[in-house]
Amino acid sequence: MKGRLTLWVAFVFLACAAVLALNPVPFVSPVPARVMVPPWATDPTPVRQPKLKPEYTAAGFTYQCMDCHRIIPSPSETLRKLTQHTEIQLNHGINTRCFNCHHPTNRNAFVDDFGQEIAWNQPQLLCAKCHGPVYRDWQAGSHGRINGYWDKARGPQTKRRCIECHDPHHPPFAAMKPAPGPNTLRMGRQKPLEHGGKRDPLRIYSQGAEANPKH
Amino acid sequence: MPDTESNPSGNAMSRRDFLANGAAMAAGVAALAAAMSPLRHLTEEDLPSIEEFLQKHYKEMTPEEKAAALERIREQVRKRYGVDAKVADPPPLDGVEFVYGLNISRCIGCRKCVHACVAENNQSRSPEIQYIRVLEMEKGSIDVESANHHYDAEKVPRPDKWYMPVQCHQCANPPCVKVCPVEATWQEPDGITVIDYDWCIGCRYCEAACPYWARRFNFTKPQIPKEEINPNMAYLSNRPRSKGVMEKCTFCLHRARAGRLPACLEVCPTGSRKFGNVLDPDSEVHFILKNKRVFILKADVGTLPRFFYYFDERGSRYHEPITPDSKGKELKEGA
Repeated sequence: MKGRLTLWVAFVFLACAAVLALNPVPFVSPVPARVMVPPWATDPTPVRQPKLKPEYTAAGFTYQCMDCHRIIPSPSETLRKLTQHTEIQLNHGINTRCFNCHHPTNRNAFVDDFGQEIAWNQPQLLCAKCHGPVYRDWQAGSHGRINGYWDKARGPQTKRRCIECHDPHHPPFAAMKPAPGPNTLRMGRQKPLEHGGKRDPLRIYSQGAEANPKH
Repeated sequence: MPDTESNPSGNAMSRRDFLANGAAMAAGVAALAAAMSPLRHLTEEDLPSIEEFLQKHYKEMTPEEKAAALERIREQVRKRYGVDAKVADPPPLDGVEFVYGLNISRCIGCRKCVHACVAENNQSRSPEIQYIRVLEMEKGSIDVESANHHYDAEKVPRPDKWYMPVQCHQCANPPCVKVCPVEATWQEPDGITVIDYDWCIGCRYCEAACPYWARRFNFTKPQIPKEEINPNMAYLSNRPRSKGVMEKCTFCLHRARAGRLPACLEVCPTGSRKFGNVLDPDSEVHFILKNKRVFILKADVGTLPRFFYYFDERGSRYHEPITPDSKGKELKEGA
């Protein structure tokens, strides 16, 4: 009798060994496949690289501004049709006139409130004419980009200027494509359409109309 | 049942019982071997070396022991990734307290900071570990519970939404430090809360204690391609972690203590991120705290964060394209 019982024990052990060795329910990793991050997502280059030179490029040729403007006068009337610089879409608030910013006689300079020249390489002074609080914040460092070292004693610091982020003819910061969202173990959405999307707490709030079309 | 009944010879065990017991024992050994068989996948790097096992807590190491530990880590990185890394242990700077400012009027939610952080700090790529979470919320609300960090728009910022990146706030009163049962995490004199990855036991109490969900756990062995390893490493920040330990944002301690700005700040296209020494009256963060309108996230939990959100004087209208209709809107509104 005892022997028979022990044989059963042996059989159970063997069955366990077989199950463990054959591994009939293989382990499926919950780790999702890697989402590749595009290289621009980690690139610290500013969104714009202005020339900071009084130059104009058209049809493959680069001109000095004064090459043309020394000879050809620009009429002060601004509601005429442009024949040159037609690619410029001026959408800068109430600034509908070129000479609000560009100097009327010296095209290598901008113009300040008193008709005096602002040098080409100091565009922030031009912006400061209207954008006082932002200029103050930029000077103090709370607006705009700063790259390099926080401790200036240890290394160089690059303070980006207005036009490295803003197009002066269309100043709002351009919308851009976002980098890939989180796909982490806890933050990743592994079964987005489970229960028709109704059990996903993120969906209930943010996309309520889609998740519950009745409401 | 007494053995002697089936055992006329008086032996302690019959032949049949002996064979049955033997078979049971052999099967038991087989089952044990099968159960232990996953151990055969263990490699040498899965087990701690003697030095690693005997290594003391970071704060108790003598300079020589620390140097040996750094050398051991360097060697480990070389063996695991084939990368010749520079493993340093920069000390906190005197008279420096790091503070982070984030301009929520300017953040557009592009998530570049998230990925620059991952590239800088050698986080696991698969499964992903990210220190920064960018929350998207409806304008006019600050309900972080209903915030969405999975937004996937064609273009950001989306109209009627605003974005709030959340990462470790380097609290002055950090709950994560208080709950650690082994003191593997602590606050440094410059305000950065760090982890000794070799001392962490992976209990995840700190993850539960953090009100900002800033701590991450390595559920698996972190996978990082060799060519994406950042060789500029520090003991307390971005040296590769192992399975089963916590990790978190350290304001890029290896950069910050060398005078450099954190990686998330460097990459931000809008300049929303500001970092510096708050004790320096000329620093940007000092100006922000003194002059801008600043708030902290979950002020009511009393953690005293060193991470401040601020905003500009006017409501930011960055998402509104300027059209012929809207030209001069500011003046028409009488602002």
